[in-house]
Amino acid sequence: MISITREPIDLCDVLVAAKDKSAGGTVLFIGSVRDHNEDGPVSEIFYEAYKEMAEAKMAEIENEVRKRWKIKKFVAIHRVGNLKVGEPSVAVIVSAEHRQEAFEACKYGIDEIKTRVPIWKKEVSESGVSWVEGVSLKK
Amino acid sequence: MAKEQLDLLSVRVKLFASAREAIGKDQIIVSLAKQTTVGDLRKKILELYPSLASKKIPFIVAVNHKVVDDSTTISHLDEVAILPPVSGG
Repeated sequence: MISITREPIDLCDVLVAAKDKSAGGTVLFIGSVRDHNEDGPVSEIFYEAYKEMAEAKMAEIENEVRKRWKIKKFVAIHRVGNLKVGEPSVAVIVSAEHRQEAFEACKYGIDEIKTRVPIWKKEVSESGVSWVEGVSLKK
Repeated sequence: MAKEQLDLLSVRVKLFASAREAIGKDQIIVSLAKQTTVGDLRKKILELYPSLASKKIPFIVAVNHKVVDDSTTISHLDEVAILPPVSGG
């Protein structure tokens, strides 16, 4: 399951989506809004996505994961809109027969999402509102 | 005049994040000569919207959801987007 959503991420729902009777291990990564950056306190983050391309890129990442590791379910969900401190912005869940595949595939999933998917964040802090300097998308 | 118009291509370009804010719109329509490349489009956008350069907003171009280089040719129905560096997660 791949999704860009405006709705709050329900962690129970995503775990249910990753459930598989033949899986012996499930790894869940949650990225959430931190209360600070290098310059000081952060009160909220606005996330924006190019939804169609973002979902296509996340599906491409899932395909790569499935080629490299023997996994059962792959769930990746990223939220957009205004998020308060502590709210989950992204979740990646992988279930597999054994934990090693699940850990490695989950790490690959979130690492690739952070550099290859067209999503942007703008932090609201005491010094104002600014887009976070990101990484240039590669071909 | 009519012939010139026939030779033009109208490209709808989606804008995101800092590029969207610098231009003040979420999409623009750019008229270009047919057989135009992504490099030509980039040049034209920078001419029409100098705020992108003055605010030092770097961007790459995606055509039909794929990142492409400046030599790629743009066709009438392509979905084109300009994307500043990403920061999801």
